[in-house]
Amino acid sequence: MPDIRMRDLTMEYSSGGSVVRPFDHFDLDLATGNLALLLGASGCGKTTLLSMLASILTPTSGSIHVGDIEVTALKGAELSAYRRRTVGVVFQSFNLVPSLTAAENIYVAMRYAGVDRRAARSRAHELLAMVGLEDRMHHRPAKLSGGQQQRVAIARALALDPPLVVADEPTASLDYVQVDGVIRLLRDLAAPGRVVVIATHDERLLPLADRVVELTPRPTDESRPPERVELAPCQTLFRQGDTGHLVYEVGDGRIDIVQELSDGGEHLLAVIEPGNYFGELAPMFGLRRSATARASRDCHATVTGYTLRDFRARRGDLASTSVLERAADASLDQAPAGL
Amino acid sequence: MWLVSLRDLQFRARRFVIAVAVTSLVFGIALAIDGMRRSVEGEGPAIVALFGADQWLVARGATGPFTTTRVLDAATAKVVGGTRGVRRADPVVLSRTVVATDPEKDANLVGHVLGGLGSPPITEGRKAQTSGEAVVSSGVPVAVGDRLVAGGESFRVVGKTGEGRYYFGVPSVFVSLHDAQRIVFKGQPFAMAIAVRGTARAPAGTATLSDAQVERDLNRPVEGGIQSIVVMAVLMWLIAAGIIGLIVYLSAIERIRDFAVFKATGAPSRIIVGGLMLQAVLVAVAAAVLGIAVSRLVGLGLPFPSEVGAAGVLQLVVISIVVGVLASLAGVRRALGTDPAVAFGGK
Repeated sequence: MPDIRMRDLTMEYSSGGSVVRPFDHFDLDLATGNLALLLGASGCGKTTLLSMLASILTPTSGSIHVGDIEVTALKGAELSAYRRRTVGVVFQSFNLVPSLTAAENIYVAMRYAGVDRRAARSRAHELLAMVGLEDRMHHRPAKLSGGQQQRVAIARALALDPPLVVADEPTASLDYVQVDGVIRLLRDLAAPGRVVVIATHDERLLPLADRVVELTPRPTDESRPPERVELAPCQTLFRQGDTGHLVYEVGDGRIDIVQELSDGGEHLLAVIEPGNYFGELAPMFGLRRSATARASRDCHATVTGYTLRDFRARRGDLASTSVLERAADASLDQAPAGL
Repeated sequence: MWLVSLRDLQFRARRFVIAVAVTSLVFGIALAIDGMRRSVEGEGPAIVALFGADQWLVARGATGPFTTTRVLDAATAKVVGGTRGVRRADPVVLSRTVVATDPEKDANLVGHVLGGLGSPPITEGRKAQTSGEAVVSSGVPVAVGDRLVAGGESFRVVGKTGEGRYYFGVPSVFVSLHDAQRIVFKGQPFAMAIAVRGTARAPAGTATLSDAQVERDLNRPVEGGIQSIVVMAVLMWLIAAGIIGLIVYLSAIERIRDFAVFKATGAPSRIIVGGLMLQAVLVAVAAAVLGIAVSRLVGLGLPFPSEVGAAGVLQLVVISIVVGVLASLAGVRRALGTDPAVAFGGK
């Protein structure tokens, strides 16, 4: 069974005219038998990564190998075959076909892959028994609880015994009573010959993981000393999409805040003058930089980067209220001086 | 494919039942009016065949015996009848008249030599044997033995026939040649044509027409009506396609998440396409079967027969399949355009 190798993976798409780059030269290796958790805040790219693994989204550049298969090169019938045979997908909202019974949801997935009727029926019953739903085989999804539906969805994902299972927030729609059975089931999924990748923010799953992949930037060391940076005209301090740990205060010169547009152009959002600060949202909320910061064309600039703790100590006005107000303003007018 | 399509039909049964019911009404109307077309198209050949003629002699310049205003001398029949190659030649008078029933009813007047060419087959009563007797098509509201006033002349109805409807189902009154000449020509011995059995040489001032030419001439005045019926029928098929298409499209929109999951899990596109088309065809065929019964009911309300027949039913089933396939195209397009990434969205 395959190991998974992702190399130099960049994913870029347009959102509201701006470039969004959840992955920028991203590398990841996952070994067979591993259960990997993708952890991170909403919007950090967990589902995007799963979609790329399932070959539902194609990265802008870079490669994904699942064993000998170069997933990023698949097209047409090979792509469909990969989705059918190599990946089992467990969706956040179960996504069972509402008109089919639990057994039929699994049966149909196998029939589409060319499994004969008798074998498909037998396997569907076997899988439902495995997930403890042998008495719910002929119930439609509407007659099943959320936990039961998710167990059916897991059984469906395993129908063709795929070597890779990806699960998107498998516990997000479940209450604490229902989640127990699903967690136990997920724990048993990772076995030799299979890789299980789960995107979640549910920390209850942490003990299951052989590997945890943090997609949200971890806060920087708060004891880190201030960082003074001198910039030549047009020199970039950070780029849109970068992780960000520091808040910057302009000492000399001016800093242009520009947003990269999906058509290749740029949009000047703000010019930060000496004494003013920028870049606090990324470290505060664990976000990527939503714009690029660079020295203005006509001058050198000097900025000093502070950890959030140091900046708060230095500038009383970085009280959470005022910053949140600025963040709200930024989201409204797309001018996040607080990027 | 079958399972998913059938289960979805069951799952949305109420909607599909309504679609089948409404579509069957449209199909039924379409079938009935298409039957009208068949009926009207069959009238010309039927009335021409009733005469059993091989040729028709008409005045030179006349386009046909049923439409002409040029007449010829009825005595020409005797001259022609005596020539070599002619087994029989009978003059006929063909005109329109009004039957004095309540309400008055339009009828075709057919004057023929009693016992000669143009005598209709009898379904009730007997043939006319003398002047003053008439045989009428079913559709003239009189019974055998009743008196009938046509063109101001009084007749005794002695028989009825299932034949003789033409010009959009207008029934005929069959009377003796002389009675017809009295009504149409004030007793002058004229005729619209000479029906000839055998092969005649046209005497001077006359021309011969074949049955096919006579049929074409007879159908010309009703061609516009037939075209209107065809247009109406096509519109009905389109409406049916629209209804089924709408239902299938709505179903496709509601099932976007299902299609996204199918695509995300590698289901071949042909499965998705086939499933939607199958649904549409099933709805269309079910509506067609129900539409056959509806057409019978609609036919009862039509002023003249609607000949549905086996050909009409077969045509309906074939058209319903075509309608189903066409109707599903918008839904298929929507389904195929579904981004599989939709499956990863939350609720």
